[in-house]
Amino acid sequence: MSAIRTEKLRKEYKDVVAVDSLDLQIEEGELFSLLGVNGAGKTTTIKMLTTLTTPTSGDAFVLGYSINNDKKKIKEQIDVSMQQTAVARNLTVRENIEFYCEMRGKSKEETEAALKHTYEVFGLDKVEKKRAKQLSGGWQRKLSIALALVGGPKVLFLDEPTLGLDVIARRELWRAIEQLKGKMTIVLTTHYMEEAEALSDRIGIMKDGRLLFVGGKDSLFEKTGTGSVEEAFIKIVEEN
Amino acid sequence: MKDALKRISALTKRNLKEILRDPISLIFLIGLPLFMLILFYYIFHNLTAQFEMRYLAPGIIAFSQAFLTLFVGLLMSLDRASAFLIRLYVTPAGSYEFIAGYVLAMLPISLVQSVLFFVTAGIIEPSFFSVNMIWGVLCSLVTALLFIGFGILFGSVCNEKAIGGIASIVISGQSVLSGMWFPLEGIDKNVITVMNVLPFRPAAQFLQHIVSGTEAVFDDIIKPLLIVLAYTVVITTAGILVYNAKMKRQ
Repeated sequence: MSAIRTEKLRKEYKDVVAVDSLDLQIEEGELFSLLGVNGAGKTTTIKMLTTLTTPTSGDAFVLGYSINNDKKKIKEQIDVSMQQTAVARNLTVRENIEFYCEMRGKSKEETEAALKHTYEVFGLDKVEKKRAKQLSGGWQRKLSIALALVGGPKVLFLDEPTLGLDVIARRELWRAIEQLKGKMTIVLTTHYMEEAEALSDRIGIMKDGRLLFVGGKDSLFEKTGTGSVEEAFIKIVEEN
Repeated sequence: MKDALKRISALTKRNLKEILRDPISLIFLIGLPLFMLILFYYIFHNLTAQFEMRYLAPGIIAFSQAFLTLFVGLLMSLDRASAFLIRLYVTPAGSYEFIAGYVLAMLPISLVQSVLFFVTAGIIEPSFFSVNMIWGVLCSLVTALLFIGFGILFGSVCNEKAIGGIASIVISGQSVLSGMWFPLEGIDKNVITVMNVLPFRPAAQFLQHIVSGTEAVFDDIIKPLLIVLAYTVVITTAGILVYNAKMKRQ
């Protein structure tokens, strides 16, 4: 079964078409990167798939559940880390994780397991007693992404997870994301082409709400006659 | 239902920590009103009945509750601005759970305010200690809901930059239009009518008469209570509707 399948998914804001008849399929366990310039429709697509925004028309199925009709079922099995850091400012790192576990209905044992897991993957144990607002941007982003994991989602949406981070913090996050590969389906949007190249199983390229390309890196290079995701991306976007 | 209650409990604890860990909130919710209670009592209590403890302490409690509007509104607007709420919208929590989390977090703060100010009043003026004080503490939860309702509405409508200005209208309203700082004799009739129609004077009056006792139960207690309740229902409902609309628009 596909983890995600969209059928003519469309979103309009007044006279702007943010996403136009999107047909896309993402397999279970895959890390799928959605690329596009600003305003391409990546974030709107994520918002629809995570049930935050209702589509104007069309439908999408996440783990077999409709985003129009089964929002609650979907919310129980997914999580998201948006572009902006989303943490409770005056809570410590540990309290943030415990709070989010409670929001996800986790037991005490499950919460302890989640703490252990996120500490291992993101190294958050080093700052567990610090309040979120005292953390650097990199640590805040790590915490924000870690929170998206504590519910044990089957599908994880990462909307520009490394935006604004320095190169070291970005590489650390890549390593953390790599550790998650295969354990869940991950949908990643990013402006950093090297990030997509390093992490993705498959890539989708959007422009003006339309999907211009879907496939693996090899087929992307073959189609464009280029040797890197960045060159291929520029060629596809400029030609369409 | 059990899961919803767990989530409401988690949200309440989180909201309470967010507010109590901000020293500015403690200064305005506790420090400033306590200072005003002591200062105004010692300066004015021999000059006018207005500043006798049975009127001053309940009036100060209503005034301190007006700051709940500021802090619940600020917390909500900051949550919206920081994408924290967007993250929580992807959990199975419903909008009523978020609202309940904000409201319930404010009630213990209100309880601490009224107990602390009444006990301080009793220490300064021992004859103030009475059963009515316990009623005063319980009834202050009703007036607290009015100001929390204002906060829910403002926090749903305004961004974090606008909250301070908008909430200060309520704080000023509670201070000036409650009539607690000056005798109303000689004040223009139309002004008195406005004061009686707005919820600020009824909120202070209700608590003052609960504590000081009255024979005119309907005029002094039930009527102001009904006005406060009516405002609370209308304002909180408006806040919930705006909040739901914004949640859907995310």
